[in-house]
Amino acid sequence: MGEGGCCPSMELFRSEPMQLVQLIIPIESAHLSISYLGELGLVQFKDLNAEKSPFQRTYATQIKRCGEMARKLRFFKEQMTKAGLTPSTRPLTRVDIDLDNLETKLGELETELIEINANSDKLQRTYSELLEYKLVLRKAGEFFYSAQSSATAQKREIDARQMGEVSIDSPLLLEQEMSIDPSKQVKLGYVSGLVPRENSMAFERILFRATRGNVFLRQAVIEEPVMDPMSGEKVEKNVFVVFYSGERAKAKILKICEAFGANRYPFTEDVGKQGQMLTEVSGKISELKTTIDVGLMHRDNLLKAISYQFEQWSLLARKEKSIYHTLNMLSFDVTKKCLVAEGWSPVFAINQIQDALKRATFDSNSQVGSIFQVLHTKESPPTYFRTNKFTSAFQEIVDAYGVAKYLEANPGVYTIITFPFLFAVMFGDWGHGICLLLATLFFIIREKKLSTQKLGDITEMTFGGRYVIMMMALFSIYTGLIYNEFFSVPFELFGRSAYACRDPSCSDSTTVGLIKVRGTYPFGVDPAWYGTRSELPFLNSLKMKMSILIGVAQMNLGIVLSYFNAKFYGSNLNIWYQFVPQIIFLNSLFGYLSLLIIVKWCTGSQADLYHVMIYMFLSPTDDLGENQLFAGQKTLQMVLLLLALVAVPWMLLPKPFLLKKQHQERHQGQSYALLQSTDDSFEVEAHHDSHGHEEFEFSEVFVHQLIHTIEFVLGAVSNTASYLRLWALSLAHSELSSVFYEKVLLLAWGFNNIIILVVGIIVFICATVGVLLVMETLSAFLHALRLHWVEFQNKFYEGDGYKFNPFSFALLSDEDD
Amino acid sequence: MGFLITTLIFIVAGVIASLLARICCNKGPSANLFHLTLVITATVCCWMMWAIVYLAQMKPLIVPILSEGE
Repeated sequence: MGEGGCCPSMELFRSEPMQLVQLIIPIESAHLSISYLGELGLVQFKDLNAEKSPFQRTYATQIKRCGEMARKLRFFKEQMTKAGLTPSTRPLTRVDIDLDNLETKLGELETELIEINANSDKLQRTYSELLEYKLVLRKAGEFFYSAQSSATAQKREIDARQMGEVSIDSPLLLEQEMSIDPSKQVKLGYVSGLVPRENSMAFERILFRATRGNVFLRQAVIEEPVMDPMSGEKVEKNVFVVFYSGERAKAKILKICEAFGANRYPFTEDVGKQGQMLTEVSGKISELKTTIDVGLMHRDNLLKAISYQFEQWSLLARKEKSIYHTLNMLSFDVTKKCLVAEGWSPVFAINQIQDALKRATFDSNSQVGSIFQVLHTKESPPTYFRTNKFTSAFQEIVDAYGVAKYLEANPGVYTIITFPFLFAVMFGDWGHGICLLLATLFFIIREKKLSTQKLGDITEMTFGGRYVIMMMALFSIYTGLIYNEFFSVPFELFGRSAYACRDPSCSDSTTVGLIKVRGTYPFGVDPAWYGTRSELPFLNSLKMKMSILIGVAQMNLGIVLSYFNAKFYGSNLNIWYQFVPQIIFLNSLFGYLSLLIIVKWCTGSQADLYHVMIYMFLSPTDDLGENQLFAGQKTLQMVLLLLALVAVPWMLLPKPFLLKKQHQERHQGQSYALLQSTDDSFEVEAHHDSHGHEEFEFSEVFVHQLIHTIEFVLGAVSNTASYLRLWALSLAHSELSSVFYEKVLLLAWGFNNIIILVVGIIVFICATVGVLLVMETLSAFLHALRLHWVEFQNKFYEGDGYKFNPFSFALLSDEDD
Repeated sequence: MGFLITTLIFIVAGVIASLLARICCNKGPSANLFHLTLVITATVCCWMMWAIVYLAQMKPLIVPILSEGE
C-alpha cells in the first residue's frame, strides 16, 4: 500500500491515515488528560467496558451528578424564559469554576429560587384573596344599601298609607304581613363571596333545591376577570350573597360553596364597619403589592445574575458529563492505579496528543507521566476527511450515500466540480443563475452572524449547502451563457448571429429557412434559433447528444478512479481483470458512439447513427452504404465489437479462479510456517484466528463476480440512457421559462394597460421564483445527486467505511440542544 | 474565431486559474494538487460544454426556419 510516484498525495482524495493508539494515564491526571484531549478533538475512544451496564461503571455517580446539574440548569432556563430573560450570549469575565463549586452554587441558587417562588406564590394568593374580598365588600355593600333604601322607602310608603284611609287596591295581606310579632322574627344569616360565572347558574339552582327554596340569593356580575387565588388564573366571577335561616341551611350552603369553588368572605351589615373594613383591606392590598414587587425584583435580579453565566455553566456541565462518559469507557489496569484508553487518531495528530498528555501531567502535578503507544491491529480504521467550510457540504453529499472505505479514492474531490456542473446542464439560464447566486451570497456574506443563530429547518439546510449552491449558481450562469438564455430570452452577446436571410426580401425565411452566412457563432447557441420552427428539433438533437457525451466522459472518469483504487491497494487482479475489460467494454460501445457523434458534427454527414449502432450488432459484416462516416469504419466496428464481446468473459472468468489460486498458495504457506516454529504457535494461532472467517467459497466468489459483470454490462447501457435525464430536465427548464416569459410577461405587455402589466409582472416573478428557482432547483439537484450516486460512484466506490467520530468539545455544544 | 483558437483561450484561462490558485492559496503540496485538480476539472467541463455546442453548429443539417407571422 502507498501512494507511489512523483506526486504528493492529494488532499481529500484519500482519508487521513489513522492508527490505533493506547494511552495509559495515571488516575490523578486522567480527568485533565481527557479534558485536554476533548479540546483537541482528534481521538475517538473505544468503549473498553462494553459489557458493563451504565450503572456498573466507575464514574456512574459523577454522571448522575452532572445529570442533576443539567436538570437544575434546565430549571433556571425555564424560569428565565418565564421571566422573559434570554441567556446573554456574550461571555462575560470568564471565571474559572470547577465542578464541585458549580454544583454547590447551583444547589444554593436553586433552593433560593424555589424559596422565592414559594413566597411570592403565597403572597400572590393572599393578594388575590384580598382583591376578591374588596370586590365582595363593594358589591355586597351595594346590595345592602339598595335593600335598605328600598326597605325604608317601602316603610315610609306604608306609614303614609296607614295614616291615610285604606284604599281598595292595597294588598290584603300587607297588613298581616306587617303585623308580624317582632319577637317571632327570625334572625337571617347570610354568606357572601365569589363564584365563577360559568358555575353561577348551577350554583343558584343547587342552593335552591338543597334548601327547598328557603334561601334568598343575590348575584352581581363583576365586569373584569378576577385572579383566582387557588389557580392563579384570570376567571370571570360573580359576587353573591345568600340569605338563609337556620344552622342546617348554613352548613348545607357552606358545603355547596366549597363544591363550586366559591370563595367566601366575611361581611358585616353595619355600614360604618363596612367602610372601615374597606379602607383596611385597601391598605393591606397596597402594602402587599409593594412586598410582591420587591420580591419580584429580587427574583429578576437573581435570574439576571444567573443569565450572565448560564451559557458558561451549561457548557461546563455538558463538558464534565462528556468527560466522565469518556472516562467510563476506559478500563483499569491490573494495579488499579492507571486507566487504559484505546482509540483511533489520525497519524498527523501524534504530536498534539502527546503534547496534551504532557500538559495534563504537568498541570495535575502527577508524578508519573502518561504512556502513549501505537497498537497494530487488523481492524479497519475509521474514515476521516479534513474538510473546511467549503468542501464539507460536498463531502456530506458523498457521505449521505455511504462513508468511504478507509483510504478509498474519494469521489468528493470531483463532486465539487461535476455536481454543480451537471446541475447547471439541467438549469442553464444565466438570469436564474444570477438570482440563485444573489440568494446564496446573502448567506455567505452573513455567514458569521448566521452560524451562531438558530435557524429553521429549511433555512438551516440551505445555509449548510451555501457553497454548493454558490457553485451551482456560478456554473448555471456559465451554461446559461452557452444555452444563450436569460429568463429564456437570447442575447447577441458574443458577436453577430451566423444566420441571415437568403435574399433581401426575406421571402422564403418561413419556408426554407435562413442560411449560414458567417462563421459559427463563437460562444454558445446561436440566438437566431430562438422562436423559430426548427428550434426544438435542433435543441433536442444537441442536448441529447451532449448528455451522452457528458455521461460517457463521467463514467470513464469513474472507471479510471477504480484504477487508482486498485493501484493503491496493490491489487493487480483488479487492474487487469476488472479495470481493463471495463474500460474496453464501455468505450468500444459508447465511446464509439461518442466518436460517431463528433465525427458526424465535424463532417456534416447525414448518416443515421441509430442505424449504425443497431446494425453494428445485428449484421456487422454488412456494408454501411450511405451511413459510412469515415474510411475503414466497418473494420473498426468489427474490431470494437469483438473487443466488447471478449471483455465480458474477461471480466467474469479469470478473477475468481485467480483468487482461488492465491488463497490456496497463502494457505499452503501458512501450514508450512506452522510446522517450522512450534514456539510461535500462539502468535500463529492468533493470526490464524483473525483469518479464520476467511473461508474461501469458490461458488460464492464466482456468483459475486457474475453479478458484478452482469451489473456492469447492463449498467453500461442503462447508465448511458440514464444520463439522458440531463436532456429532459434541461429541455423542461427552458420550455417552462419560455412559457412564463411569453404567456405571462409578453401577454400582459400586449394589453397596453398599466394594471395588467403590473399584475403580469407579479405573476411572472412569483412563477419564476416558485416554480423555476425553487422547484426546478430542487429537481435538478436531485437528478444531479442521482447521477453522482448511481451512475458515477457505482463504477468505483465501495462506501462501506465508518466515520471518524472523535471525542471533541466543539462537536458537543450543538448536539445537545 | 475558430475552434482551435477558442480552445486555446480555454487552456490559457485554465493555466491562469491554476496559477492564481497556486499563488493565492499556497497551502502545501497536497492542497495545491487538490486545487489544481479542481481547476482542471472545471476547465475541462466548461470546455467540453462549449465544444459540444460549437461543433454541433459548425455544419448544420437544419437551419432556423422562422415561424409564421414574424
